[in-house]
Amino acid sequence: MSILANKDTRVVIQGGAAGVNAARRMAEFCYLIKKPLNVEAFVYPPDAGKSNEIPYGSGLIAIPVYKTIAEATKHHPQINTSLVYIGADRAMKGGMEALDDAHIKVVSMITEGVPEKDAKLLGAHARKLGKVFNGPSSIGIISAGACRLGVIGGAFDNLVLSKLYREGSFGVITKSGGLSNEIIWICSQFADGITTAIGIGGDAYPGTDYVSYLEMFEQDPQTKAVVIVGEMGGDLEERAAEWYGAKKRRVKLIAVVSGFCQESLPKGMKFGHAGAKEGMKGEGSARSKSDALKKAGALVPATFGALGPAIKETYQDLLKSGHVKEVIEPATLPKLPKSVEEAMKADEVMVAPLIRTTISDDRGDEPCYDGYPASELINKGYEIPHVIGLLWDKRLISKQEAEIVKRIMMLSADHGPCVSGAYATILAACAGIGLSQSVAAGMIMIGPRFGGAVTDAGRYFKHAVDNKMSVDEFLAYMKKNVGPVPGIGHRVKSLRNPDKRVKELVGYVKSLNIKTPCLDFALEVEKITSVKKDNLILNVDGTMAAVLVDIGFPIDSLNGFFILSRTIGLIGHWVDQKRQDSRLIRLFDYLVNYAAPKRREVPPLK
Amino acid sequence: MAKVLEGPGMGLMKKWGIHVPNYAVVTSAEELAKLGQANDWFKQSKLVAKAHEALGSRFKLGLVKIDLDLKGAEVATKAMIGRQVGSITVSQVIVSEMIPHKEEYYCAVKSTRDGSEILVANCGGIEVESNWERVKRLTLEVGQAPTAGDLEKLAKEAGFTGVLVKKMAEFAGKMFACFDNEDAQYLEVNPVVLRESDGELVALDAVTLLDGDAKFRHPDWNFPFAAEFGRAYTKQELEVMAVDSKIKGSVKFIEIPGGDTAMLPAGGGASVYYSDAVVARGGKLANYAEYSGDPPDWAVEVLTEKVCSLPGIKNIIVGGAIANFTDVKKTFGGIINGFRKAKSDGKLKGVKIWVRRGGPREKEGLDAMRALTDEGFDIHVFDRNTPLTDIVDKAVQSKG
Repeated sequence: MSILANKDTRVVIQGGAAGVNAARRMAEFCYLIKKPLNVEAFVYPPDAGKSNEIPYGSGLIAIPVYKTIAEATKHHPQINTSLVYIGADRAMKGGMEALDDAHIKVVSMITEGVPEKDAKLLGAHARKLGKVFNGPSSIGIISAGACRLGVIGGAFDNLVLSKLYREGSFGVITKSGGLSNEIIWICSQFADGITTAIGIGGDAYPGTDYVSYLEMFEQDPQTKAVVIVGEMGGDLEERAAEWYGAKKRRVKLIAVVSGFCQESLPKGMKFGHAGAKEGMKGEGSARSKSDALKKAGALVPATFGALGPAIKETYQDLLKSGHVKEVIEPATLPKLPKSVEEAMKADEVMVAPLIRTTISDDRGDEPCYDGYPASELINKGYEIPHVIGLLWDKRLISKQEAEIVKRIMMLSADHGPCVSGAYATILAACAGIGLSQSVAAGMIMIGPRFGGAVTDAGRYFKHAVDNKMSVDEFLAYMKKNVGPVPGIGHRVKSLRNPDKRVKELVGYVKSLNIKTPCLDFALEVEKITSVKKDNLILNVDGTMAAVLVDIGFPIDSLNGFFILSRTIGLIGHWVDQKRQDSRLIRLFDYLVNYAAPKRREVPPLK
Repeated sequence: MAKVLEGPGMGLMKKWGIHVPNYAVVTSAEELAKLGQANDWFKQSKLVAKAHEALGSRFKLGLVKIDLDLKGAEVATKAMIGRQVGSITVSQVIVSEMIPHKEEYYCAVKSTRDGSEILVANCGGIEVESNWERVKRLTLEVGQAPTAGDLEKLAKEAGFTGVLVKKMAEFAGKMFACFDNEDAQYLEVNPVVLRESDGELVALDAVTLLDGDAKFRHPDWNFPFAAEFGRAYTKQELEVMAVDSKIKGSVKFIEIPGGDTAMLPAGGGASVYYSDAVVARGGKLANYAEYSGDPPDWAVEVLTEKVCSLPGIKNIIVGGAIANFTDVKKTFGGIINGFRKAKSDGKLKGVKIWVRRGGPREKEGLDAMRALTDEGFDIHVFDRNTPLTDIVDKAVQSKG
């Protein structure tokens, strides 16, 4: 047997993340005692209509979330208990809603920091309805082998160590959540364990008192003794003493009381919970509580440390008198399946990784690029080109190389609105499309005719240089195998209308004292092709490609320089159109050659 | 619970229709002089000046001056501001008008388990304490408001007669309204006086304890809460409070000068049992501290540094029950960092550390603590098989 929480308890949890966490803990307990999950529903308006997935063993159970208690109990009429995890400012409303539902008999409030007046109103309302309002600031209620409400009992290992999978003979009532596990543990080590342990909450005026639970324990034949863990302030212990002394009780009472230190501390010092009010010399003091309990016949150990032996003594008496029998422990207990992470940590499984990376790692406090922390790079004066070097080529490029990269980026950041990429972005922006999609629209224009020739240009120039081809041999090879030379030719620029960007870049790179075999070769190619036709000049793509190959970037990364730098321009165009609140573009008829057939009659359908 | 100083306490009473003397809280004599020019009452009445701080026995300390004119109040203010009393520097003075009166009464409202109690006596000042049996009570259930009839009956029981019955009943009614609407836990006016000029009852003093948890529904609580133990918070205490306000879970820290046993326990309930054990074994507490609700490790580290900084400590008790969900490894990580920092700052010389804990990841946490021996810490680590407060016995018995 047990009180408040038993095998028939069915729960609705009011609240969000904290409630879900509690449900997980409750599912662990249900798994341990081989019972189905006792949480039927959540009430949490922001997530109404969704469901929360609660792990049970190695599976997952979906528990529905409702907007109101009424909806939850309508769909799950077996619900009889509510756990309240909602914030202190809404806790009273939520608690009242639960109390007012005819299905719900017990409301346990876990929320901390609930105003005293709200807690009192909830307590009074519950008493009027003949229901139980437990809390606020309750750690929960647990009945060994039957039911766990809330996180009381701690982690799975502790549930097992404290033998909570099967019933004992000791009831526990505590105000302190932190000490609840301690007492449960002591009862399992010095005696046969617990029936039910109740966290009544650490506030000054909890919704229930020790007496209401003592009375229930007295009616529960399985409970032979009750352990009370007192706290400073209030008069709950005196009331318990009064109840115990009023007539002969079946249950034995063991109680520890705290707050003796107050006698030698600065007056008015406040401890721990709100309920621990400043020391009054008379009623409410540790001494008066201890005296009252002793007088009523309870066993009151002098210190907390002496509680174990006191429980042991009580248990031995109960054994001798035949009121309890030795417990036979079950042979095997379910083990909570380990998560993959836990199993890996214990070297029990090996997982084949899904992907592999060799450039970056952000598992620490900041990302590392090829092993270098981002902040350290910043603080030691490195710049964007160095990050490109690390992530694209796994090397720290030199200051000189970085300067070249920077200039390439600046020269190719944007080439006006008419090129296909920018035009596509503008078109998308005018159609009301978002930034990333509009930029992506521009980006997919990058190909052999727009910026996408950088990689190929680099590839063939390098091929020629590596194979020591002459320009003639190269042009013959290209004509036979490839077609037009990538990186050569411009739609609007020509010998007579030279491209300043190319001149600038070539001039700068040439001014440095570095070897530039690809660039030199490309310029030789230009000499020949531009004679054939004056717009067959070395263009920006080709120049970038040759230079980047010369400073060692991998061929496959070369288009990336165009994509990256041009993104700056594409974003600019999108923002520009937005700022102007541009209207939707529709082509004018006169810009289209309507070469479609003239209007004609549709033939009858055969 | 949150204590409120006299000024804001009077402000709340005034809001609910209780007559209070004119008053002003000032931070300098110059400010008072300016207010004095702008408000006639400063010149028309005799004045009282009191240090506006959470200090006991202000009268004895010379921090209450009565029967002053404006000039005198300015002189008194100047003399009080900046005065150091223990850890408190007087930074505010409350100046109020003196109310000439002959009769003094008493009225209070306090929170009880089932609701509240209104207390009334027809004596006041220090007289009420020695005549506590003259205090009459009206018990109210939560949600219940007193009727005019109830209150008049209470006033009569307390010995009021004639017009005073109704006046006192009304005064107590307003006190209750203030108590109930302002989420107070304790309100006391001692004395309530009968103002000679108009025969109205006036609150000459205000002891106000509010429910700090209800702050969310009182946007007009724009005043700071005061420490409850007759002294201001220390710098270290304030720093821990600042951390506490930022985190999930909690860290708490109160200094007790002169102690040699420093406390660093987990959990509000266990921390008191640990403190009890220290006192029971004849030890002297150097502080009260506590962390709970799975606080982040950096917050526990800050708390640890404060504990290690306490002067003259010989033992540190890192006690705790078996946690429900506080991660022992993680919170101990914060404590270990704090210990290391303290040690490298030259602290913890000759200090023994005693550890007892259980809960999630207890083995890893306890192992990490044990490993501190290799770094030269005098540390003694115990697990759940050692009864909760036994480390206190070991610490207090340990010599040299």
